[in-house]
Amino acid sequence: MQNPYEVIPAEIYEVMQESPLIRTLRFKPKKPIQFKTGQFIEVGIPGIGEGPFTPSSSHYTVDDMDVTIMKTGFLTEYVHKLHAGATIGIRGPFGSNYPLEKFKGKDVLILGGGCGLAPLRSLFLTMLHDHKDYNSITFLAGAKTPKDCIYKDEVTEWRKYDNVRFIRAVDEVPVGEQWEEDVCLVTKLLRKIDMKPDGNPAIVCGPPVMMKFGTFDLLKYGYKEENLYLSMEKKMYCGFGQCRHCVIGGYYACKDGPVFTYNQIKNEEAIWD
Amino acid sequence: MIVNKNDFHSFLKKVNSGLGNFSEVIVPYHIRSDDEKPALHFFRFEESKLPNLNFFRTVDPLKILFYLTREKVYPLGQKNHTRIIVGVKACDIKALHLLDKAMLQSGFVDPAYKQWRENTLIISSDCDFLHETCSCNLVNGHPYSESGYDLNLSVIDGNYLIGIGSERSQEFIELMKREITVANSTISDLEIVKSNREKVFDQLVEKNNPLNHSSDFSEFRKVEHKNWEEVSKECIGCGACTNICPTCYCLILNDESSEKDFVKVRSYDSCQWYGYARVAGGGTPRPKMTERFRNRYLCKFDYMHKNFGEIGCTGCGRCTEACAAKIDFREVVKNVSAIAQEVN
Ligand SMILES: Cc1cc2nc3c(=O)[nH]c(=O)nc-3n(C[C@H](O)[C@H](O)[C@H](O)COP(=O)(O)OP(=O)(O)OC[C@H]3O[C@@H](n4cnc5c(N)ncnc54)[C@H](O)[C@@H]3O)c2cc1C
Ligand code: SF4
Ligand code: SF4
Ligand code: FES
Repeated sequence: MQNPYEVIPAEIYEVMQESPLIRTLRFKPKKPIQFKTGQFIEVGIPGIGEGPFTPSSSHYTVDDMDVTIMKTGFLTEYVHKLHAGATIGIRGPFGSNYPLEKFKGKDVLILGGGCGLAPLRSLFLTMLHDHKDYNSITFLAGAKTPKDCIYKDEVTEWRKYDNVRFIRAVDEVPVGEQWEEDVCLVTKLLRKIDMKPDGNPAIVCGPPVMMKFGTFDLLKYGYKEENLYLSMEKKMYCGFGQCRHCVIGGYYACKDGPVFTYNQIKNEEAIWD
Repeated sequence: MIVNKNDFHSFLKKVNSGLGNFSEVIVPYHIRSDDEKPALHFFRFEESKLPNLNFFRTVDPLKILFYLTREKVYPLGQKNHTRIIVGVKACDIKALHLLDKAMLQSGFVDPAYKQWRENTLIISSDCDFLHETCSCNLVNGHPYSESGYDLNLSVIDGNYLIGIGSERSQEFIELMKREITVANSTISDLEIVKSNREKVFDQLVEKNNPLNHSSDFSEFRKVEHKNWEEVSKECIGCGACTNICPTCYCLILNDESSEKDFVKVRSYDSCQWYGYARVAGGGTPRPKMTERFRNRYLCKFDYMHKNFGEIGCTGCGRCTEACAAKIDFREVVKNVSAIAQEVN
């Protein structure tokens, strides 16, 4: 019998400061964690607590993983104090994943902002691994200011592929900061690209307001409800459908989600809160 | 099977003190001596005290013996003793059935719960008296069990009629047959049980007549916020109702790990508390008490129905009994149900 509360110890071997509030931890779990991109894990610090986070690395590397974590409160404050060599405890993987088989041969649009880029990086890296399988991949990424942009060192690499576009925008450029790319809300980038909404998937993840208006814009531009994939973040404890904290309507965000199509949850209440 | 009551009690006494492979017998006892307002609790069998096997439900729900208020779930200790719980009521059997669905049949298994389930023999008993809050009949229940038990007791004067509900009760029966006289039951015994059951059920129906409501709860969601505000206005949000409810199982997972060992402990949580669904950044889908109040009713009658194919209320009445603001759950269900039918 598999205990869903089982903790797999993992050793951190590198910590990267992505932005003032966001860090990526790279770690090696003692036992490979066979996740599918979009699924999440519980990351725990001994004696402090645990919280749900999505791996930000490709699902092809299950014994060497990344999580990208924003400092927002009690647990994440401690996460940001971790150094290489520290041991963390992982549970999972849990929840639904992005249905890559449905994306094959399609023009895939990825839209995200802030720390919502974490699961999207996982999706993006996983897709880059087989990029020829997709007709095209367009990744629109937003941040508040240039210094809030994450994964800076990888952008050049990501722009090397013929059928892949990686476009960034910041909301504003404070005096003294450098920026040569777009300045606008990330959802405004949609107008700049030639969208192919017909039958193609769009994947959205980010802060609640961004998700909400991003979703409404995409619907307006003709994307179908059943082709819009959203990652829902609700309060989670167990991760596998027992504690009921994450229930929206009758759905479990942890077990039926976190990846939902808009069609699945549009009639549930408080989905954006 | 028919056994004499006193014989059966002395047999339980022997089992509790080591006869057979059972490590303890747990039974309901009155916790107050005045019979004006009887209240029962589960305790380990005591040599000198007669248990009250056929009364009505205990104050505490049965879940506290299977889904402990605080329990280590990782790493898992071995519970290698076998308990017998006697005097379990139909409403709690029903609740256990729902917890089984939630904890064993939803794609994962809660290992600690599973161990308790496997290590426990359940002997249920028909209800002979009614608590003022008993309302199983309003949610399709009866004051007696028809399944879900290992053995069931029905009182016939100075005897128990024992019904067999599972194969795993065999060991207990064999042991009992060696220790006390066990007679075969007759058709007339069964008829007495049937008529006793009907009598208690009729009392229940009559008692709850003013609280009757439709058994279609599918429209609860459509009831407007202002109506929920009205029915919840006395609620102080203490969470007593969820803690005492036999089918509520929301948990908090606590990390009690040290540098070397990872330890996870679960304990009860309540959707009635503000922090329940609060996420980082302070957002919560149910900031107002009314919304949390409503959530409990929707969870019982809508979400659980969607998740498990049955509603999450057994009609045990404990939430009504426990409510600090004296809110009668049955009245709320009746009122909301009436509004829901109108909206429809
Ligand atoms: C599926 C999913 C994927 C996610 N992926 C990511 C990701 O990739 N990157 C990322 O940065 N974030 C991610 N998040 C969000 C992340 O889980 C939260 O930001 C994180 O849990 C915040 O924890 P905190 O304690 O720092 O914040 P707080 O605001 O302090 O607390 C957040 C929650 O934890 C509870 N809590 C806080 N302190 C305690 C305590 N002492 N005891 C008990 N409970 C406490 C609070 O009640 C609150 O509900 C994801 C969330 C979900 C649901
Ligand atoms: S909701 Fe109230 S009456 Fe129904 S099972 Fe729970 S405690 Fe008993
Ligand atoms: S609610 Fe029904 S089954 Fe439960 S104790 Fe009361 S009469 Fe018995
Ligand atoms: S996180 Fe526990 S049920 Fe979803």
